[in-house]
Amino acid sequence: MNNLQPSALRLTGLYKGFGGPWVVDDVHLDVPPGSFFGLVGPNGAGKTTTLSMAVGLLRPDGGQAQIFGVDVWADPARAKAAVGVLPDGLAVPERLTGPELLTYSGLLRGLPADVVAERTAELLGVLELADAGHTLVIDYSAGMRKKIGLAMALLHAPKLLVLDEPFEAVDPISATTIRTILQRFVAAGGSVVLSSHVMALVENLCDRVAVITSGRVVAAGTLAEVRGPHTLEEAFVRLVGGRVGGAEGLSWLAS
Amino acid sequence: MVGILIRMRLHLLRRTLSTGTTGVLFALGLVFGVVAALGTVALIVRVTGTGDLELGTTATAAVFGLWTLGWLFGPIVTGSSDETLQPEQFRLLPIDHRRLAAGLLAAGFAGAAPVVNLIAFGGLAVRGVLLGPVPALVGVLGALLQLAFVVLLSRVVLGWIGAAMRSRKGKDLAVLFAALAGLAYYPANLLIQHLGPMLMHQVPPTLATVLLVAPSGWAPYAVDAAARGDWLFAVLPLAGLAVLIFGMWRMWAFLLRRRRMTSPPGVASSGPRSDRMGGLLGRIVPPTPLGAVLVKELRMWWRDSRRRAALLPMVLVGLAMPIFPALQGNFTFMVPFAGLSLVWTCTLGSANLYGMDGTALWHTLVTPDAARADVRGRQLAWLVFVAPPALLAGLILPGVTGHPGLCPWVLAFLSTLLGAGAGLVVLLSVLAPFPVPQRQGNPFASNNNAGCAKGLMQLGLSVAQLVLLLPPLALLLIGEFAGLPVLRWLAIPVGIALGAVTAWRCGVFAQRRITRWGPELMAVVRPR
Repeated sequence: MNNLQPSALRLTGLYKGFGGPWVVDDVHLDVPPGSFFGLVGPNGAGKTTTLSMAVGLLRPDGGQAQIFGVDVWADPARAKAAVGVLPDGLAVPERLTGPELLTYSGLLRGLPADVVAERTAELLGVLELADAGHTLVIDYSAGMRKKIGLAMALLHAPKLLVLDEPFEAVDPISATTIRTILQRFVAAGGSVVLSSHVMALVENLCDRVAVITSGRVVAAGTLAEVRGPHTLEEAFVRLVGGRVGGAEGLSWLAS
Repeated sequence: MVGILIRMRLHLLRRTLSTGTTGVLFALGLVFGVVAALGTVALIVRVTGTGDLELGTTATAAVFGLWTLGWLFGPIVTGSSDETLQPEQFRLLPIDHRRLAAGLLAAGFAGAAPVVNLIAFGGLAVRGVLLGPVPALVGVLGALLQLAFVVLLSRVVLGWIGAAMRSRKGKDLAVLFAALAGLAYYPANLLIQHLGPMLMHQVPPTLATVLLVAPSGWAPYAVDAAARGDWLFAVLPLAGLAVLIFGMWRMWAFLLRRRRMTSPPGVASSGPRSDRMGGLLGRIVPPTPLGAVLVKELRMWWRDSRRRAALLPMVLVGLAMPIFPALQGNFTFMVPFAGLSLVWTCTLGSANLYGMDGTALWHTLVTPDAARADVRGRQLAWLVFVAPPALLAGLILPGVTGHPGLCPWVLAFLSTLLGAGAGLVVLLSVLAPFPVPQRQGNPFASNNNAGCAKGLMQLGLSVAQLVLLLPPLALLLIGEFAGLPVLRWLAIPVGIALGAVTAWRCGVFAQRRITRWGPELMAVVRPR
């Protein structure tokens, strides 16, 4: 990494404990600018906790998070201006319609009204949410929620996107739309960090991968480095040390 | 299944009680309830001791009526409708709704409140024993039926309100009902004050008739009839109660079935209706970060049934607070100050803004420098809803009640309190936030579980803000006694200035708190 071009996202020795054992235990990650970075791990591995600390939604017990060289916790305003976030499982003001939510979001960021209006219309069109213009977000399906969340993350044209499980509960057509948007974003020089536990998707989409389990990064690097001669899924199972269960017991089931 | 449900409920109760303060509060409530129940029994025994059968019956009917009112309005006013077991949780189980209703009802009896009530209604059994063997039997039966009646009545009414909350029109109606239920405290208070002494001596015949005709009076009347040897009227009221109980049980089963089949409230779609105001708002309010938050907050207050349930009853309760004492005695000079109590109750009612929004706070946290706009926008939106009715009351009531001289007093205090309220609302929202359960079947269930310390802080600060009224009060008093109207009118700008400074300072504090401790705030308000 050269000094002129700092990492899009750099996590150094992050710790988080919630008063018990470390949920995130000395996590180091380096996301070069222009990369499509996949963070994979089993349920409860600490993916959401790590990403929350990276964008300033959860205070780390130790360590640093930098976005384009700016410390998220020391200079939050500058760091947060460069990043768009799609959290997983957090609420939005649900009694707003999609256009109202995006308008609110854009104006809160200080964007001019005409820019907000233009981008809102365009984003809703591209994400196929334009028909739901009068529907309150609370009535949205899970997939629509992901899409409006993505629109909120994209609205201020950030240089880095941090997306927590962006493909969870999204139908195949919407997923393809989101993939295309993200690929265009990276092709245009943006950086994406996404978490997922769908290996095939990460393998298809990302050029860099980190595997996290029990709060620790057990492998990180380019896709080829991490998966080696195997598929990512095989490499993942080996790295996580998991035993694939499901073959024993349950003889009463559908007998 | 009944056994399983009861065990589940007791298990959940034990789990909740194991967390410190909840346990203490529960114990306090229990002690209070048992004392009230024993007091009821003592009262009944005492009037029975007088030997006046008629008076005893009326007195018993009166206290039974009060307990029934408590079951009806208590959960609504305190927002503590019992939702330990929610019908939604059984949606996927192959149990037919009538069995579920029976099971949930049985589980509903396995709590502290019904047990406390059984003690209170046990007073009727004691009265029966004092009156003879047959009245004793009737008394025991009556007490049990009475208990089943109040528990079911409470369930049906709350269930009905909850069901009504599912549609937008119903929601407005239900919120209004809740507000009126909140007001029922005053008539109840009036009743107790006037009834208390009467119970021991002589009850006016009309009131006695009302007390006996209401279902809460049926069981006492049955005991009365049994003591007189009037078998028909000993049996009829009990049979009537049984029929009522059966009918309500069926109704409750029906409501449960509907609730199991439909989605929780708040999901009602608004469609283009909300757009009319939305479009207008978007055009009027300047497109700045502050404007964006203001518009968002106005829409949330307007559309979110939980927010309305928090504010609308407070408006009515606040307005009525000084009016009821005026009806009781000759405190009419209090009425012009209805606007003040309105602001005061509304401040208390909306002191958990971030809790009501839950994790939606993330968006403010990831947006650079959004805390300022967020806090100021919330303050403004609160003022937009609270100030107009308060000012209207403040301008009209002094004249209407024949105290036009109070106008400067009311306006000076009102402007101070409006500013202080706008400040306190955000201050308390960041200092004493608590999570609000998302999307529950019953909007009255546990929407006010601030906990003891936070509740005290809310109350303490809202009382402390009254100190701000001292400077305008001093001006007003001096103006009054020195005969200087200028001083009295001067109190108004002083009040406005005090209010504005308070709102501004509290807002600055809230902003800093969010900027510095935003993630911690979000962790606290995350619904568990």
